[in-house]
Amino acid sequence: MKNIFPLVAAVIGLAGAGCNTVNTTETAQPSYQRNMVAEKRVITDSSLARKVQVLGVNATEGPGGFLKVQAELQNTTRSLHRFSYKWEWFDQSGNLLEGPTSVAITRQIEGKESMFISGIAPNPAAKDFRLKLYENAK
Amino acid sequence: MNRLLSTSLVAAASAALFAGCATPQATYVDPNSNRTLSNVGQINIQDWNMASEAMINSLIEKQVNAGKLKASGPDGKSILAISRIVNSTGAQIDTDMIVKKIRVALLGTGKVVADITAGLGGAEDPLAAEAKREQEFLSTKKVATRPDYTLSGKIIENRAAQGNLRESTYVFQMSLATSDGLAVWEEEKTISKQGKKSAVSW
Repeated sequence: MKNIFPLVAAVIGLAGAGCNTVNTTETAQPSYQRNMVAEKRVITDSSLARKVQVLGVNATEGPGGFLKVQAELQNTTRSLHRFSYKWEWFDQSGNLLEGPTSVAITRQIEGKESMFISGIAPNPAAKDFRLKLYENAK
Repeated sequence: MNRLLSTSLVAAASAALFAGCATPQATYVDPNSNRTLSNVGQINIQDWNMASEAMINSLIEKQVNAGKLKASGPDGKSILAISRIVNSTGAQIDTDMIVKKIRVALLGTGKVVADITAGLGGAEDPLAAEAKREQEFLSTKKVATRPDYTLSGKIIENRAAQGNLRESTYVFQMSLATSDGLAVWEEEKTISKQGKKSAVSW
């Protein structure tokens, strides 16, 4: 009977090793203040949306007039996921501004981890943006 | 009847023969998407895209958007020249895969122009270099010849293996220096890829 405890501990340890989650610590009242953006979300891949959620988006404009956007994502599951994202930029008239930075960037996110992804406008004419999230093709 | 049958057979055989010789149909993929092919042991399109995106974003954020650029070019734009990009990987690569993207993006900001008459190993555009020399010779007006900034870099490769698993890591390093030789911006982007032995190209 005594020997059952190490066995139970080993089983729990093995089960835990299958999905490594991330423990996060941060200040209770952060000194920063984010300029959050009101967003509209169009979700077609509910599987990805369930796994990697967008918690919020904030935007700032630097002295050079370039828009910088940051999005906070969270993996709501307990397992690692790979995903890709792409920023699209639009001018005042809603025209798409294409450039070398409008490419799919692949990232991985650990279980329960939250992370930031950011993008910077290709030129000061960019006044709006769109963030696209993809389930990884591979 | 026999003639009709034999003609049909010849036609069918010819069709089958030609179909066998046809190359597999190609499918176009968006090079900016995550659907391009990638493997361990090679820098693929997605890797170049990700490395250049990181470099461009960092350059725009820390230099261009911060308003730190020194400008002596036309319309108050900074003049950029490309210096040496060292390839320390085992593969033969064209460093323009990253440099050109950076140049396109910087020109697109409207704050930078590229000097294609200055460069190690000769001018990128010899005709433009010749025209510039002629203009300098014929005109008393001073032509901006000295680049405000030079861009240099290095690409390093590291390989690891454990059992059947292979890993390739590519480190992209870039520096922007002023004409005084001082580095005012530096960035490093590391891309690691893992794959089983069968997916390895080396």
